[in-house]
Amino acid sequence: MSIASNNNPSVSSQRFWRVLIYTTLIVMAVFYLLPLFIMLLTSVKTLDEIRDGNLLTLPVQWTLEPWKKAWGTACVGLTCEGINGYFWNSIKMVVPSVAISTILGAINGYILTKWRFPGHRWVFALMLFGCFIPFQIVLLPMSQVLGFLGIAGSTAGLVLVHVTYGIGFSTLFFRNYYEAFPTELVNAAKIDGAGFFRIFWRILLPSSAPIIVVTVIWQFTNIWNDFLFGASFAAGEHAPMTVALNNLVNSTTGVKEYNVDMAAAIIAAAPTLLVYIVAGRYFVRGLMAGSVKG
Amino acid sequence: MASIDIVNVHKSYGSAHVLKGIDIQVDDGDFLVLVGPSGCGKSTLLNMIAGLEEISDGDIRIGDESMKDKRPSERDIAMVFQSYALYPNMTVAKNISFGLEMRNFSKAEIKERTESVSKMLQIEQLLARKPGQLSGGQRQRVAMGRALVREPKVFLFDEPLSNLDAKLRVDMRTEIKKLHQRLGATIVYVTHDQIEAMTLATKIAIMKAGELQQLGTPDQLYNQPSNLFVAGFMGSPSMNILPATIAEQGGKLFAKLSQKNTDDLLLPLPEQTGYRSYINKGVLLGIRPEAITDPESADKDSEHLYIADCIVNVTEPTGADLFAITELGGREVIARMRANTPLKSGETGPFAFNMNKAVLFDPSSEARID
Ligand SMILES: Nc1ncnc2c1ncn2[C@@H]1O[C@H](COP(=O)(O)OP(=O)(O)OP(=O)(O)O)[C@@H](O)[C@H]1O
Ligand SMILES: [Mg+2]
Repeated sequence: MSIASNNNPSVSSQRFWRVLIYTTLIVMAVFYLLPLFIMLLTSVKTLDEIRDGNLLTLPVQWTLEPWKKAWGTACVGLTCEGINGYFWNSIKMVVPSVAISTILGAINGYILTKWRFPGHRWVFALMLFGCFIPFQIVLLPMSQVLGFLGIAGSTAGLVLVHVTYGIGFSTLFFRNYYEAFPTELVNAAKIDGAGFFRIFWRILLPSSAPIIVVTVIWQFTNIWNDFLFGASFAAGEHAPMTVALNNLVNSTTGVKEYNVDMAAAIIAAAPTLLVYIVAGRYFVRGLMAGSVKG
Repeated sequence: MASIDIVNVHKSYGSAHVLKGIDIQVDDGDFLVLVGPSGCGKSTLLNMIAGLEEISDGDIRIGDESMKDKRPSERDIAMVFQSYALYPNMTVAKNISFGLEMRNFSKAEIKERTESVSKMLQIEQLLARKPGQLSGGQRQRVAMGRALVREPKVFLFDEPLSNLDAKLRVDMRTEIKKLHQRLGATIVYVTHDQIEAMTLATKIAIMKAGELQQLGTPDQLYNQPSNLFVAGFMGSPSMNILPATIAEQGGKLFAKLSQKNTDDLLLPLPEQTGYRSYINKGVLLGIRPEAITDPESADKDSEHLYIADCIVNVTEPTGADLFAITELGGREVIARMRANTPLKSGETGPFAFNMNKAVLFDPSSEARID
């Protein structure tokens, strides 16, 4: 029986394709991981080894000095206190920006689908439009607004900028998700006596995990990786990680410390990687299964 | 408990005029069924009673109180939705008690009411489950429990049984009827199943394209349909509608029907004042299948029983009955005979017409002639 099925041409051709597909995937994965691998290798080599050796050789003498230097003592611009301060700047900027834009996006999506008002289409269209305004166009008006509000050059100012920019996308995500959310559930809750926020909190939010994860990942990576707004509105000691990384790489006079640069770059990229690894697992579907038929 | 007055209610969505002046009165303890074909505005009207849709014009009063500016939660109603609309993230117990919790009932009271309702509906063993882990019938019960636990003045049902299989539907139908008898509550119930309407209702409102066609007891709708639409909608198989002319012979009125290959059939008509003005004019004769029978099972008390020989086109045994199909006035006519009636396709046989049960319609206005 098993011999017969092994000789079956369709089974063996199936196996052939499977091998081919996996080989291709592995080759691609290695190819895409190569830069990260080289960055990691370079960051644990001494400068001498980097100069003498090949990019892909393993270090003879492993060292964590470049990491310590990047974190604590490397010179960014004129100060030589490493990038840790800027890393925290970015955290202080990203966490409130992501939280506020996600919450506002969720409430917007909720209103635009379940508490419609005349002209709701227009409001949504304008918000969508806001997603596609190029960054450069808003730089000048935005800096004027920040100056007027007295938060120019501060983390608070950056949070405002990112929330403003982020609402368009987070509203889009939540609106489309809640559009498919059964309105009968909302109606049932209305009759049960729940009000605007209680319906949101008790009925919609518990079923929103997938879209929250999507929005958080999207906003987190965009805001963390932003360079233009950071460079424009938060120079100096309030600069976010991305700006500081640029300054670090550019401000080393004399020898270029590739290992320190690489370590700093990995630190700068780490949070977004972490978010993908941790939150990506929660992309689950079918949370709504069984609530409503048809 | 409460009566419901629907007074000249209109509903428009933009330029679409969906309800065109509906007037319905429901007494305390009535079971009103709204029936009609898909898209006629049944759900819209129910949602307006619930407060989920705004009233464009007119008024809806529950227990003499205008509902115009009342939110759904202030109307003392409960609703069972077609999709059941159970909260997916909550257990069955939470689903049932959510409305009480929102109304700040005490923990003890919530527990007591949840328990008594779940005992009544026999869903006690399901209380800890989520809706996703229930069968269709169980979900339906939970949805009913959620409505019952609040003990509201008015219950609203939007096609609560349409997602169940045929057997379960019949069982639940009986249970809803028992429930109504026990609670004595006022119920408004939407369906497009005319059998559900007939069996459950104390009053039926039949709608078409946003207009009320007839409001009355099941008996009135069935036996005195106000127009052709109502006549065709209620009953299965539906009423035979046959083109006829009214003839007068010896002071008596007859419906004259053409017959294939033989003489016209003259069926005696009961005396109705309205009929006289149609003498020698065309009308539509409506007669239900069960009013055309084999002579033995005919209603002997009927004063207008007429037995005629007709050609049987086809016979359709259903087990309980035998449907015999013949042709009159150029249309197929279904007669409902006893199961063992000795009729054969292609042969003639005696058909007994109980003309007391016949109704006439004006062919142009389609309204019943009295
Ligand atoms: N939000 C809306 N905007 C525009 N038209 C609507 C809206 N809701 C319902 N309608 C229209 O109103 C009419 C009545 O709809 P309704 O849902 O009340 O029908 P129904 O009698 O319940 O039908 P069914 O038996 O299919 O449930 C339909 O023609 C429908 O297209
Ligand atoms: Mg409907």
